[in-house]
Amino acid sequence: MSFFFGASLLLSLLIGVLLTYIFLPSGNRKTAGILLRLFAGGGLGIGVTSCSYFICLLAGLTRYVAVIDFALCLAFGLIAFMRCRKKDPGEQAGLPPRKPAARSRLKTLIASVFAVELVAFVISFAVAFLKESHGRWDAWLIWNMHARFLFRGGDLWREAFASGLDWSHWDYPLLLPLSIARGWTYAGGESVLIPAAMGFVFTLLTLGLVLAALSFLRGRTQGYLAAMILMGTPFFIAMGAAQFADVPFAFFALAAFVMLFWVERSPENHAGPLILAGIAAGLSAWTKNEGLLFALIVTVSLAGIAAHAGGWAKAFKRTGLFLAGALPVLLIVVHFKTRLAPTNDIMAGVGWAATWAKLLDWGRYAEIAGAFFATGISFTQGVIDVRVGMTLNPGAVSILLLVVYLLLTGIRIDPKYRGSFFHAAAVLVLTLTGYFFVYVLTPLDLNWHLMTSLNRLFLQLWPSAVFLVFMAAGIPGATSPAGGKPEAASLKAKRTPVKRRTIRK
Amino acid sequence: MGRVLLVVLTGYAVFGLLLQSVRTYADLPARDPVTLHEARIAQLKGSLPPSGEVGYVTTVENDRIFAAEKAFRNVEYLAQYALTQYTLAPLIVRNSPELPLVVGNFIDGPPPPGFLERHGLVPLKDFGDGLILYRRETGR
Repeated sequence: MSFFFGASLLLSLLIGVLLTYIFLPSGNRKTAGILLRLFAGGGLGIGVTSCSYFICLLAGLTRYVAVIDFALCLAFGLIAFMRCRKKDPGEQAGLPPRKPAARSRLKTLIASVFAVELVAFVISFAVAFLKESHGRWDAWLIWNMHARFLFRGGDLWREAFASGLDWSHWDYPLLLPLSIARGWTYAGGESVLIPAAMGFVFTLLTLGLVLAALSFLRGRTQGYLAAMILMGTPFFIAMGAAQFADVPFAFFALAAFVMLFWVERSPENHAGPLILAGIAAGLSAWTKNEGLLFALIVTVSLAGIAAHAGGWAKAFKRTGLFLAGALPVLLIVVHFKTRLAPTNDIMAGVGWAATWAKLLDWGRYAEIAGAFFATGISFTQGVIDVRVGMTLNPGAVSILLLVVYLLLTGIRIDPKYRGSFFHAAAVLVLTLTGYFFVYVLTPLDLNWHLMTSLNRLFLQLWPSAVFLVFMAAGIPGATSPAGGKPEAASLKAKRTPVKRRTIRK
Repeated sequence: MGRVLLVVLTGYAVFGLLLQSVRTYADLPARDPVTLHEARIAQLKGSLPPSGEVGYVTTVENDRIFAAEKAFRNVEYLAQYALTQYTLAPLIVRNSPELPLVVGNFIDGPPPPGFLERHGLVPLKDFGDGLILYRRETGR
């Protein structure tokens, strides 16, 4: 069973990594670049194979899923091979030999602490699994339950969506349940290890993506520090081990941002990262309903920023490339939403009169703002006890730590990444604003809705927020306004020593 | 300075969590509550059709299962119902006594007096530990 499940994961991983080679044929070949492909591609691959499994379900071909995945892998491999043969002279040739980066004692210490913390993190995760091997509440109430219906339902798998079991939220997208059901199909039977393994894989991929992306874009130390922040976030581990879809969503949101930064890193080859960003944003909508809002905000803001910077022609081109990646996944989401899923409980029974009344109820705004503040300070600390309610708890790792860190290091955004940084920051703010207004308009009991979901919404954006903070934080001894030497991390920066400007607040 | 602060504080958080995990591990029961509940409910499978619908009754009347959870008073009734559905999927478990076959899950105590009689529920098989399968007699 483990062997076949391992094979299913390996195929997903391969498909995702090959996708990165198709769309980023001439990227960095150093460790950070390869790790970035591995972590970004791993998650994207799981998403893509969940889509292919859904198509197999629709076509009644789930028994052939392994053959179909293998064929997909071969096809992607062939395309990637052809693409990589056409070497980009700017990226592959004429590069000066890279001097090994000087390793300070502090850097070595940070790397060592990271390694030890990683072991502690894995142990904590394993204990969380042993404590609740079926996951926490939403895992068996929603995600793993849906996986069971999809796997056990056979030819009648569609019936669950019309079952009227509204409390299990059958309108929720299927990336996670399908990935679990796919694992069971490969393994030839159910096992609690497979949903748990999906939780662990996505938690590890998110951690790895933060580490690899920052190592690639800003330097290895920044990557280690950011990953340590995530490992020190008890709620991140709790939600990963809980087998909820919030950590997979966090992964896809982060992957979309990382790809948008990659666009700025290789402006001459912006098409590939934009398409991958689109795939990631589309997969976020295939993971959770919040992803629809996220994908919409990323698309509109991308168009707006591109139009502002380079006119409508650039906006059409960039948005078109992004949508070329997102649309295939979004079409699957639309098919699911229009053909299978019942109406969402938040959208059901929404009327103009009730909407206006809620929009003009300032008490709701105050209650939501209070909850945003209290949860924003506290959510990292762990699972909320709904009987106690929201309490301020600024512990060891919280958003305050990031603020203090920024105050100590200063803000120095590489001019090359400034556009992507403000774009990503705007997306985060707009997504939170969108969440705010969902609460304003919710037909559910406001306090219950806030207590049972707000901390997870914050967690979904937490890895991306950590990534952005470390993209903005100053690096001691690195770039200076006079054009000092940057930390030895960016291959491109070494190849084309542009005069760097820094923004200092 | 920033890096050192960050390493110290995240280290404190990670190792605090590890310590907590070690303590949790020492107190771990042999099997987690969901696995226990699943094993208990799984006994019903042989007496139920593989697909279709069954009803559900418990210690409180059906409409109170969700009301208690919404008010944060008691999440156990909803958890027990959801876990019954989780175990018996793809069979649909309706939160209603108005079906020909009804699962009785009384782990937290007996139903309200007269509730079973009012809905014409007759015991079909008692699995012990508060788990009873009922047949509904519609003519009553």
